[in-house]
This record gives sequence, structure tokens and C-alpha cells, in this order.
Amino acid sequence: MDAITLIQPQSIGDVLQAFKEYPEMGHILAGGTDLLPDLRKKKKEAPILIDIHHIPELQQINITGNFLEIGAAVTFAQIEEHPFVLEQIPMLTEAARSVGALPLQNSATWVGNLVQAMPAADGAIAALALEAELYIVSLQGSTWQKVETLFRAAGVSIIDPSQQLITKVRVPIPVVQWGTGWQRLGRRNALTLPILNCAVKLELERGTISKARIALGPVAPTPMRALQAENHLVGKQLDEKILQEAALLAQAESHPRSNVLRASAEYRKTVVPVLVKRALKTAWERAQ
Amino acid sequence: MNLTGTKQGCDYEGECGACTVLLDGKAIRSCLTPIANVEGREVLTIEGVSDGEILHPLQQAFIETGAVQCGFCTPGMILSALALLEQTPNPNSQQISQALEGNLCRCTGYVRIAQAVEQAAAQLRGEVSSPANQSTANLQPLGGNGLRSDSMEKVTGKAKYAEDYRFPHALQIKVGRSPYFHARIIKLDTEKAQKIPGVVKIITSADIPGENGFEIYSVAEPVLTKLGDNVRMLAAPIFLVVAGSAEIAEEALQAVDCEFQPLPHTFNMDEALSEHFPPIIGDSNILSSFEVKHGNLEGAFSNSEVVLETHYETAFLEHAALEREALVGYIDEEGRITVVGGNHQPHNQQRYIANALGMPIEKVRVITPYTGGSFGGKQDPWPFIAVALAVYHTHQPVRLIYSRQESFDASPKRHPYSVHYQMGASKNGKLSGVKVRINANTGGYDSGGYYIPNYALTAAGGAYRWQAVDGLARSVYTNGPKSGQFRGFGTSQSTFALECALDELSQKLEVDPLEFRLQNCLQDGQISFLGYPLAETLGYQNVLEEMKPYYKQFIRQTEEVNQQNSQSPLRQGVGLAGMWYRFGKGGSLRVEAHSELALDGHIVIYASAPDYGQGTQTAISQIAAETLGIKRDLVEFINADTAKVPNSDIQGASRALYFVGGAVHQTITTLKKAIFSVASELIDAPVETLTLEDAWVRMIEEPNRKVSLAAVAEEFERIGKSRRVREWFDLTDRVPLNQQVEYAPFFVTGAQLAEVQVDLETGFTQVLRMVAVHDVGKAANPTDAAGQIEGAMVMGLGAALMEEFIPGVTSGFSSYQIPTFGAMPEIKVILVEVPSRYGPFGVKGLGEAAMLPSTPAIINGICRTIGKRIYSIPATPEKVLKAILQG
Ligand code: FES
Ligand code: FES
Repeated sequence: MDAITLIQPQSIGDVLQAFKEYPEMGHILAGGTDLLPDLRKKKKEAPILIDIHHIPELQQINITGNFLEIGAAVTFAQIEEHPFVLEQIPMLTEAARSVGALPLQNSATWVGNLVQAMPAADGAIAALALEAELYIVSLQGSTWQKVETLFRAAGVSIIDPSQQLITKVRVPIPVVQWGTGWQRLGRRNALTLPILNCAVKLELERGTISKARIALGPVAPTPMRALQAENHLVGKQLDEKILQEAALLAQAESHPRSNVLRASAEYRKTVVPVLVKRALKTAWERAQ
Repeated sequence: MNLTGTKQGCDYEGECGACTVLLDGKAIRSCLTPIANVEGREVLTIEGVSDGEILHPLQQAFIETGAVQCGFCTPGMILSALALLEQTPNPNSQQISQALEGNLCRCTGYVRIAQAVEQAAAQLRGEVSSPANQSTANLQPLGGNGLRSDSMEKVTGKAKYAEDYRFPHALQIKVGRSPYFHARIIKLDTEKAQKIPGVVKIITSADIPGENGFEIYSVAEPVLTKLGDNVRMLAAPIFLVVAGSAEIAEEALQAVDCEFQPLPHTFNMDEALSEHFPPIIGDSNILSSFEVKHGNLEGAFSNSEVVLETHYETAFLEHAALEREALVGYIDEEGRITVVGGNHQPHNQQRYIANALGMPIEKVRVITPYTGGSFGGKQDPWPFIAVALAVYHTHQPVRLIYSRQESFDASPKRHPYSVHYQMGASKNGKLSGVKVRINANTGGYDSGGYYIPNYALTAAGGAYRWQAVDGLARSVYTNGPKSGQFRGFGTSQSTFALECALDELSQKLEVDPLEFRLQNCLQDGQISFLGYPLAETLGYQNVLEEMKPYYKQFIRQTEEVNQQNSQSPLRQGVGLAGMWYRFGKGGSLRVEAHSELALDGHIVIYASAPDYGQGTQTAISQIAAETLGIKRDLVEFINADTAKVPNSDIQGASRALYFVGGAVHQTITTLKKAIFSVASELIDAPVETLTLEDAWVRMIEEPNRKVSLAAVAEEFERIGKSRRVREWFDLTDRVPLNQQVEYAPFFVTGAQLAEVQVDLETGFTQVLRMVAVHDVGKAANPTDAAGQIEGAMVMGLGAALMEEFIPGVTSGFSSYQIPTFGAMPEIKVILVEVPSRYGPFGVKGLGEAAMLPSTPAIINGICRTIGKRIYSIPATPEKVLKAILQG
């Protein structure tokens, strides 16, 4: 690594100031679990790291109105430990637990995981199914954006970490009956990228599905929603037949690639419906 | 800070956990944490865990349970466990798993680590009292669960591994390697690179004063490939840069002008053997071959009701020891070129170095430091020669530390096999004849692959009675990575194929797989697969009998579970496999060791049994203590330093206990006699009436008639008698000459059981429980023996389910998956003791053998669960599902 200056702003204002002072040279540093290896291998260059750990408001998990808000410096481990998350959104707890292993979860942040924009990032798959939104702050102003707009290509997000900061993620908490489900398959249980992962959210009204979200990775260059499967579920109850139909639709929508280290496209395609079914079932049961 | 406790096992990629520290009480990867980030926060490293001399209960428990082998993962493990226990005083097994899943351990199989955490937790909760004795010194000799003598330093982070040897101005070595799988070097110009400030020397083949090779260790493998010659694998070494810093060395690496003409390459043995493929080396791409033939095979087959024909394949495997190749070199106080690095036999490395430097052997010294795991990987002489060359040319201290990727690219792998069987049996389950053809992929270089066919074939027969045998094994060149030594050299692949084929055959015959093996089990004195009877006792029948109740219980329980959950996609099944393993092959039948009565009255052993985590340091000391009848804290073992100890020959093939232990037993016996004869004069009592107790020689009948060992030593000095004795353990005349050439006919046997659970919809397999029964002759240290077996089993599990090195693709721990904590099954180890005829106290070799049956037991378990056969490893979810879905 070449010489790197680390600056530690105390407020979001300080971050913006840093953006102004070091145009194109800075890079936001959150958990660092992805950034540091990238810098060492010179996959990325950043003479100035803007460490956001000292900004109190980025450390918080809040429940405000109908949203769960999670700050950019909050680690996966903190999400796992949060009782509200475990009770209301167990899929998010499970996804957080899937990231690498505990020592990584102790450093890595959800926001950082999203910005990496990897097609099977556990955090991204969960965020997609949860309809998460991101608060993006820059010198040009600030805005809420839907998580699906974040991913541009495999490993590329729309965020420019030298001039944009995501301060928090928020997840809408439905007022209706709802449930979530998580599935993940890897070659081993931990410290491994998924062969496939799947997150599901179901909202129910009067016993039938009013909204469904199914997110899958890595079955496309970016984290993917199985839109047809989602639509198919709306207005229905989850019986074996519907489950099967939705799973097959999701399968048809998936276009996974082969990876010699993990699995072939063919295998991934074969197990997509298995994971979708299991995640849907869990979500349905949890919604009851 | 000069702390040695925080280790590093991957390329700072967060993949191993060796670097774990606690930040505000939470376990984190220090390699992924910017230093500035920890300012003002509380950082705890292993050095801060104990309170001065008082160990933390976790450290204590790690020592007591035998959770420490090579110790490289230990600091990180303990810290992760500490973070857990501070938050969760009474963790369940799932919580323990979750907390430790991020820390890789390649040695222990995690079993004892889990036990250690539970034990420490109970103690911290005040449920069990703390063992009063904090010292590890006061230990029982043989057969007791003696604690390891080196664990104390490992749990406190004080143990010095090669990387921890620091010299103020050490130069760094970086290696210029081939970017091609197969290519001719057409240009090699180092001039520009040599001029970079800070570059001290660039070493090419022209700078090798002696042989550019490895003596008999590896045929036709140059240390550095010269201009105009061919590199035959990716990362084949071409030149060395020695520079003032790693960065400068790296820069020079790029500045060397090296051009290649790429040549066609293959990793596939059939292709390499086909007529169209140009020879990679020599004229046939066959490095060596070996045959065993006896009996009338045709007759045997024609009398068999069933003849099974089947084929199995295995993958390139990587040792993945947590410590990468790390060595330092310097000129010692006596002017010797000295290399410090983990190895299996310092005297062999010394010889290879002297040979390459064209120097007399006395001018070279090899020292064995604490070693963070080897499993055969650190037997490769290459890094030793490279370091010695750098010292030779610079006369300065040097360091060579492989990156993890380099370690994966350049270190020897396990030979992939392709095994073709025909085996016959009568309807009632009696084996008749066997025909087997094995090709072993030695990659681009020999690296010990020359001897592989012999090992491959021997293991392919098993401890079974065959009426006729026709076996042929060959070692085949390809452009894969060079294959070399790996725990159970050459035997685990054949064992996998044999035990799976036998399982297939038993299914065909519709006989019980355990009864089938019992029925055909080789008895002591019978003609073996090799064509003659064995020299050592064979406990296979005892092993199988011991296994029976567990086997029946597992079968019954899985059937029940499957019935209860008939709707679930999770299905369970049981697999069984046996093994025989020839220990002690590959070295001399005559082994030397010395012992000495030190002036202060303690006993010193001088021998060479490098301890890379498997516990020889302790076990050998125990043999000495047992022989003397004293406590182990009176015994010091100076191990594996060529300047201090005799050549006890190669440590591989699980030789240490049997051979080196045997030599130590001899020398100590002689020393004891000498001590008694001097003491008898001093206290005026006949030798037969004496006994040794603590540091005193006394009369048995009159305990007060005694003399201290120190006084005896003084007397030795006074009368001019040498306090040091040399002895040999010598089996040359016990083994007929014709059998010595090809085989050392000493075998251990064992069998294992695996209960697996397969997800029929995804193919994902979890191994739930395993039972291992092994004949160890005599368990010198049951804790260590069980620990070794558990570690080997989880390594075998890795080979069965997930491990596979793909040339050019696999580059580190993220792309080579070894089992994590969560993969660990519940393991039961049962030691069967059928004493050996010649080994000290009846011991046999053990360390490596235990992984042999694990892989086939798991694969057989999967096959019996899904009702289909898996013919190659690893059985990834994808492969298993494919088999399930096959019509
Ligand atoms: S060195 Fe930090 S995880 Fe391997
Ligand atoms: S003891 Fe764990 S890696 Fe060696």
C-alpha cells in the first residue's frame, strides 16, 4: 500500500468538507473489510481515507415511525444483536450472520456491503427484498434512493465514495401482517461466498399475499429480484401449487453464470427453485 | 511493538483468522483494521490474556484438552473464545461454533478446541475449580495424558516461529516465477533490475555453485530454470531477488526482463499419455512405475460369481498449513550457512543445501523452529536451498516468506489419482483376485513423485486376503503443480478408491459391508497383497470387531430418523471404510539418537524428530521419561538442529515414534546402565538393587541410600567417563533384504464410520458423527493420539466434500475451502492396542494414517444415503445433486 492519510471527521459536515478539500482523492472507509485488501492489491487507489467511525449519528439503529434506520457505521454484528431486528425481520439477522464469519461481522457494515454491489452480497440480497432505501449525502445535496437503483454492474455501484456518503439505510416496517425468509447455500458453512442466496418478504392482507419480494444472488450481474414470481404470488395463498409455480418462475428469470470455484450455471439454476420455495415457506409461516 | 503472538496466515485478506485481536472486547481481523481506527480503543492481543505467569482459564484449558497442536491458530482461537465467554458465559455448542467459525485450524479438527472452550467456561462460571498447578512441567510419562511441553509458549503467544526470528537488517528474498504452465525461457536479462538501489543480488541458475537440483529428492527438477530451458508448471522458480526491503524486491521482480515462448500444456494424464501430446520431459511422460503380481488372476476371476469393474478419481490437494513457508537464513557464530525453517528432517535439508552450494556438509546448519503445520508440505527442499543461496551470495541475514498465493502456487500438492479396479468375489462374499491400474499425476516435476507408484499400489490392496493380484501404478508428468509429500503420502487416494470399490462390491453382493471386510481380513502371518507376510503385528480384525457395535447403532439410528422425517429432504446414511497404512517407509531402518546426563543432573536427548504440530517433542520426551522411570520435567529434548543432534533420518510416513522413539529408548537404556554402574560405586550397592526416582538414584530396599544425579554426573567427570551416549535403533537384520528394497513391511490399520446427512434437493452434505478405531500398538500419549486422529479426520472430510486445487484458478483460502468449525462432526476415537513387535513399548506409527479412511467413509455414507455412487472427490453439493438426479 502506498502512503495513505486517514482523516477522521466528527460530523457529516466534516465529511462534506473533506469531499471539498480532496476532490477525487478521498475514499469513505467504513468497516474496511473489503477496502483494505483492495488497496493492498492495488485494485483500488485512495490516498486519503475518510473514516466515518467517529460520527455518532452513523452509529445508530433507530426505529422511527414505520422505518428501521441503520447508520452507515453500524456493523453486521450490531444488527444481529438487535432484538427488534431479530423479532421483526429475522431474515436480516440471518443474512447478517451469513457474512463471512463473526470477526468480519464485527467490522463490516451493511452500507459497505451494499456499496460493494457484488451480485450475491448477503446484505444486498436482504436489502433488495426488504425494499431498503439509502440516504445519500453529497456536496450537491441529499436524497433517499431505492436500493435497486444502487447497482450498476457486478461490483460497481452508482456511489462515488470520493464525493458521496450513504449515511443510513432504512427499511419500511409494514403495518400489515408480514414475514421474511432467508436461504443460503455454500460449499461450507462459513467464510465462504454463496453458491446461491435468496431473501423473501411477504406481506399479507386478510390471509392472502398483498406484496411479495424475492431477491436472489448471484443469478444476474447485480442482485436480482424475481419479478414474475413476485407478481404471481399477489392475491394468493401459499399452497404447494402456488409455491411450485412461483419457484419455477423465479428459476426462469434467473441467469446464473458458471464459476469453477463455486458451481456451474446449470446447478445454480437447478437449485434456485429449492431455495425460493424454502424462503417463501419460512416467510409465510413467520407471517402467520 | 515486537509481539509474536498475532499471526498471519493469509495475505491479509481476512480469510484465516490467525491475526484475530479483540477491539473493545470484540474479535476482529487485525489485518483488515486500519491502525488509526483503534486509537483510543482497547486492543487486546494474546500477550495480554494471561496475568503475568498466571494463565487465563482458557489458555489453561487449551493446554489441558490438547487443543494446541502447531499452535499457529491458537492465539486467534483463544481471543475469539475469550470474546465469546465474556459475552456469553454459558454458550451452547452452536454459539461456540458461531464464535469460532471465522478462525481456521488445520491441525486439530476443532474437536478439542470446542472442549477447551466448554471447560474454561465451566471454570469461569465457578462450576469446576481451577486446577491448582499452572505449570506444564510436571507431567506423567507414557500412556498418561501427558500435556504437551511446548503448549505453554503457544497459548501465550511466546512461541517463536520462523517469521518471528528478527534481524535488524535482514534482506528480503522474492522469487521470480513462471507465469506459464509450460514455456521455454527465451530471454532472461537481470541487468536493469540489478541496478535498482537496494537490490543486493539477483540470483539465477548461473549463480548456483553446486548442483542445480535436489539430489535424489527430485529427478530433473532444477532449483532455478536456466535460459533456454523449459518451465513445466505455473510458478516454477527462475530467479531470486535479494533486496533491502520487500518493496524493492518486488520492484526488481518486475524489472527483470524475462521472455517466454509458450508451449502446449495439459493437466490431464490421459492427454499427457496420448501419442499426440509432446513429451513434457523425457520421452514418455512417465516418470516411474511399479508392479505387484502374484497368483493366477484369470483363474481367480473365472471362479468368481461377481467381478466388479469400477473407476475412481481424486483432485490436487493443498496442505494449507496455517503458517506459510517462512524461513530465515544467516551465518552463525561458527561461520556456517544457517537456515531456520519448518522441515521434516534437518539433516536432509542440510545435505541438499550443501549439494547445491557445492560445500562440505559441516559448513551448513539447519535449525527447526516452531512450525505452524506441515502435513508434508514443508518437506520440500526448495525454500531451504533458495535461502541458503541468498546467504551464500550476500553473507547477510535473509528472510523468505511466501505469500499465501505463492504457497498455493508453488508448494507441492497431493497427487491426483485415476484408479481403475477389477475385483472378484464369490457369492458368499469371499474376495478372489484384484487387478488395479493407477495413474498418479506428478505435475511438472518429480518432487518425490518417483516413489509414488510404490505407495499407491501398496495402499490399493488393503489388509485383505487376495488369492491373485495384478497391480500397476505409474507416475505421470503433466503441467499441473508439482505433486509431493502430503500426509499419508500416496496412500489416501488409493485407500479412497479401494474402500469405495469394496463398498460397491458389497452392495452388489448384498452383504453387510462390515462383515464383508471382516470375512476377508488379513491375519497376521498370511500372505499379504504384496506377496509376502508382514513384519509387524496387524490389528485389523480387532479394529473391525471394535467397530461393530457402533456400526450397528448408527445404522439403526439413521433408519429411525429417516422414517420419522420421511417428508424432509434431509436424509441420513452411514458409511464405513477401513485402511492399512505402511509406516516407516522412505527412511533408514537404522536410526541414531544420543542422550546425556547433564551436569546438574537432568537428562538431555539429542535426536531429530521435528515437531510441526503433531507432538513429537512431547512424545519422544515421554518415551525417555518412561524408559528412565522419571518425570518428564527432568528430560530435555534438543531436537532437529543439525549442529547439535545426530541424524535420526527422515520424519515422514509416521516414523517418529517408532524409529526415533526406538533409538531414544536404546540410548536412554544404555545411559541408565552407565548411571547405575557409577552410582553403584558411589553408594556401594549392587546395580540390580538400584532404582531411579526423581533426580536420585536410590536403593530399592533402603531408600535412604541414595545419590543425586548431579553427583553422579560429577563422578562421571572425575573419572573421565563420557556423559553422552550414542545408540541406534536397528531393524536391518529383522527384515529380509528382499523386502527392504521396496517395502518396510510395517503396517497400522484402522477403520472409520461416518454418519452423513444429505440434502436431497441441493446435494449439500453435512457429516454428523464419526467413529474412528485405530490400532496404534501402544498409545504413547492418548490425548495427542486422539487429537492427531481428529485432525486427520477433519482433513479427510475436507478432501471428501470441498477441497480441490484447480491449477491457475485456486490462489488462497478463499478459493481453497478447508473445513471450518461448523463442518466438524461429533467424533469418537477408540484406540486399539495390538503391541508392535519391535517398536519401543509396542508403539506403531500413527499420525498420518488416520485420514485414510475418513474420506471413503464419508463418500460411502453419501452413496448409501442417496442410493447412487460418487466416483470422484470432492463430493461438492453440485456433484452429489447430479448423482441424485441421474436416472
Ligand atoms: S491474516 Fe488476517 S485473517 Fe488471515
Ligand atoms: S493448531 Fe490450529 S492450525 Fe495448527
